Amino acid sequence: MKTYVAQRLGIAVLTLLGMSLVIFGLLRLAPGDIVDILFAAAGYVDPEARIEIMRELGLDQPLWVQYLEWMRQILTGDMGKSYRYDLPAWEIIRPLVPVTLELAALSLIVSVALGVPLGVISAVRQDTGLDYLLRVFSLAGLSMPSFWLGMVIILGLVAWIGWIPPVTYVSPSENLGLHVIQFALPALAVGYRSSALIMRITRSSLLEVMREDYIRTARAKGQSGGVVIWRHALKNAILPVVTVIGIEFAFLIGGLVVTETVFNLPGVARFLVEAILWRDYPVVQNLVMFIAVVVILSNLIVDMLYGVLDPRVRYGN
Amino acid sequence: MTRFRFTVAAFVLAGVVGGGVGLATGQTTPKQGGHLNMMLREDLSQGFSIHETSTISTVWPAMPCLSNLVLFDPLKRVESADTIIGELAEKWSWQDNYKNLVFFLRKDVKWHDGKPFTSKDVKHTYDMVRAAPDAPAKLRLSPRKDWYANVEAIEVPDSHTVVFRLKRPQPGLLAMLASGYSPVYAAHVNPATYRTACVGTGPFKVKEWRKGEFIDYVKNPDYFVKGRPYLDSLRYVVIKERGTRVAALQAGQLDVSFPGEISKTAAEQLKAAVPQLVITPVGTSVNDNIIMNVKKPPFDNPKIRLAVSYAIDRKGLIQAVHQGGGVPGASLPPRPYGVWGLLEKDLTALPGYGKPEDMKARARKLLGEAGFSPQKPLKVEMATRAIAIYVDMASFVINELKQVGIEASLKQIETAQWHAMATRGEYQIGANLTGIGVDEPDANFYENYACGSPRNYSFYCNEEVAKMVDQQSQELDPKKRQQLVATIQKKLEADAARPMLDWRLDYFTVWPHVKNLVPHHNIYNFGRMQEVWTTK
Repeated sequence: MKTYVAQRLGIAVLTLLGMSLVIFGLLRLAPGDIVDILFAAAGYVDPEARIEIMRELGLDQPLWVQYLEWMRQILTGDMGKSYRYDLPAWEIIRPLVPVTLELAALSLIVSVALGVPLGVISAVRQDTGLDYLLRVFSLAGLSMPSFWLGMVIILGLVAWIGWIPPVTYVSPSENLGLHVIQFALPALAVGYRSSALIMRITRSSLLEVMREDYIRTARAKGQSGGVVIWRHALKNAILPVVTVIGIEFAFLIGGLVVTETVFNLPGVARFLVEAILWRDYPVVQNLVMFIAVVVILSNLIVDMLYGVLDPRVRYGN
Repeated sequence: MTRFRFTVAAFVLAGVVGGGVGLATGQTTPKQGGHLNMMLREDLSQGFSIHETSTISTVWPAMPCLSNLVLFDPLKRVESADTIIGELAEKWSWQDNYKNLVFFLRKDVKWHDGKPFTSKDVKHTYDMVRAAPDAPAKLRLSPRKDWYANVEAIEVPDSHTVVFRLKRPQPGLLAMLASGYSPVYAAHVNPATYRTACVGTGPFKVKEWRKGEFIDYVKNPDYFVKGRPYLDSLRYVVIKERGTRVAALQAGQLDVSFPGEISKTAAEQLKAAVPQLVITPVGTSVNDNIIMNVKKPPFDNPKIRLAVSYAIDRKGLIQAVHQGGGVPGASLPPRPYGVWGLLEKDLTALPGYGKPEDMKARARKLLGEAGFSPQKPLKVEMATRAIAIYVDMASFVINELKQVGIEASLKQIETAQWHAMATRGEYQIGANLTGIGVDEPDANFYENYACGSPRNYSFYCNEEVAKMVDQQSQELDPKKRQQLVATIQKKLEADAARPMLDWRLDYFTVWPHVKNLVPHHNIYNFGRMQEVWTTK
């Protein structure tokens, strides 16, 4: 097990190194840079001032020097300075992280709490009216983008009751009730889409398992339907569901852009887009690396969970 | 529809939509205390460093922190030389036949860090802005350097007197100093500091700037105008999504809209949803225009440039693109939104303002003279910024051009590339928006039409016009100056230097408890907030 984890961590480091090259390269391939943006906000371009700002920000250096400088900063725990705000990048990124992690976690809870039970019901009641209803429900969830649903929620609320959740971030210590309300609606909007996917996977996986001999045996032994489903069938059907949950969590971390924008939540995803538009390389590079770390870790955790959920899975050389 | 009818329509709409033109001013005794939540559509691009940007997204939220020497009266909607009031300057005087502008400064002003304000701060600021060779500090960018090209020196005879010594008379300088774009910085603060913090003399002090979220201001207890500001605090909330911004205003989470944000359609929807909202149609000092690169074929041919101008139906554009939320005008905002704009009779004689079919026939004739016909159409690439308000306008223009035999394909340019592309002249024709910081011919003509100006994207350069611009700039007789300015505007349109399409209107929206926030016909100059109070 230890060897396996060490191997995975080694691969993770290599993956992050590859990621760093990709994100560094892609950012430089995008047209324009921070200096262009600064001049865009000023409405003119002064070639001499441009050269000076490039030098000030170290953008006049060869690309490989810039890349090595970034790597040096990462290794020394320094994330560099935001070009846009002239502040340490970490100072800007730090408050964003808990917001996105909380929203992603809440969305995942909503999606699992809805998706797994509904998937089970749908499988157990296969081809009944309820099954069709739940399948329509899940199809609707898959078809509706969460940002669209978020906007509909906002517009619906303001039209019907003249109220929307707070548009400035309320921390739990400030007002727990408002904080919960602020996060509940975006978590529902995002969680609904994910729940639809989880529900479909749960349903198909469970249907497959329910056709297995050991399920028939369990039933023949006189075990109740509930015990057969929850103790035997679901336990064996859950592996693909866990995989999807892991992928969804990783997807959510980077995929909350529009939801955070619609609900005006100051999270990583919204800020990342803003930083990309500003070509704020230090912020973008480090945020993407943060997302990559979360994705790698969530995948590792899911793989570890396999061993817990399925005793047949063994880790070793 | 005539310009007069447009104006009437705008004010009738104010009556219908806003329950009357203007906000309640002086109806009841102002109340001390209270808090307002203000709308922002993006975070400050250069912090509080107004001198380094040209965007309302910086000026509007940074203005409460800073002060000018002089400012347009916050309570008067129309801005002119007559509405300029003193801020840091107690009084001022033109001397030596308008060659010296002397400011006598207030002696009771302190910076937010407690240090006294003196004439050195004024000299420091404007020497930096105009990039004087002996300036003790340097701005990273100085987009309005050209406003002060006529300043020979800034002298400080004593700690509370400043003299702007000019190369030649320039009565318009005072108006430029009254713009929201002309605050005074502290000499003892590194100018770079303004990108992250604000040491001002304004009515409010920055309490916190949470990047990408909000800026919190608290009342400055040492503000030099006694009894002001009325409000205890302000919060500028950044909301990127337009739908959410409007919903937050509608839900009462925001008290005030962002200048230039509310279109006519949005105003009508807001009023229908919340009838008590106070909506005031005002000018924005932002125009839609066409830039054509005169250095490159085919727009090096004046006939083709003029054909483009004739082809575009201005009134049709205002209806189709702005749903009536705009007014036609030449290079300066028309009355009542400005004081220098062309009169109705002059405007209707310009290319593109007559009957659309007649105008298009003129355009076809000009194109024919330049060697193009329906069988041999002119093919061009129309560049525009990849933002909806630009693309909508460009799409309309492309359709208009098609009707006269110009086939334009749309090329959307990302914001990061737009100004660099325009400044370098890497385009043929473009659909552009221009905001004018102050309704003053000098600010506009030198910035957008002067030979060699970095914002003269068309590279239009006409010696005769340049002479007339210099002439009007030093003309001391207001009537003669007005005539000269009108002649220049007509000439610019006749030359299709940068054909003006319309001046955008804003439907500035506040909740009824917000008092004394009088929106000006120029979005850049009324954000000080010292006179604003609330009944909430």
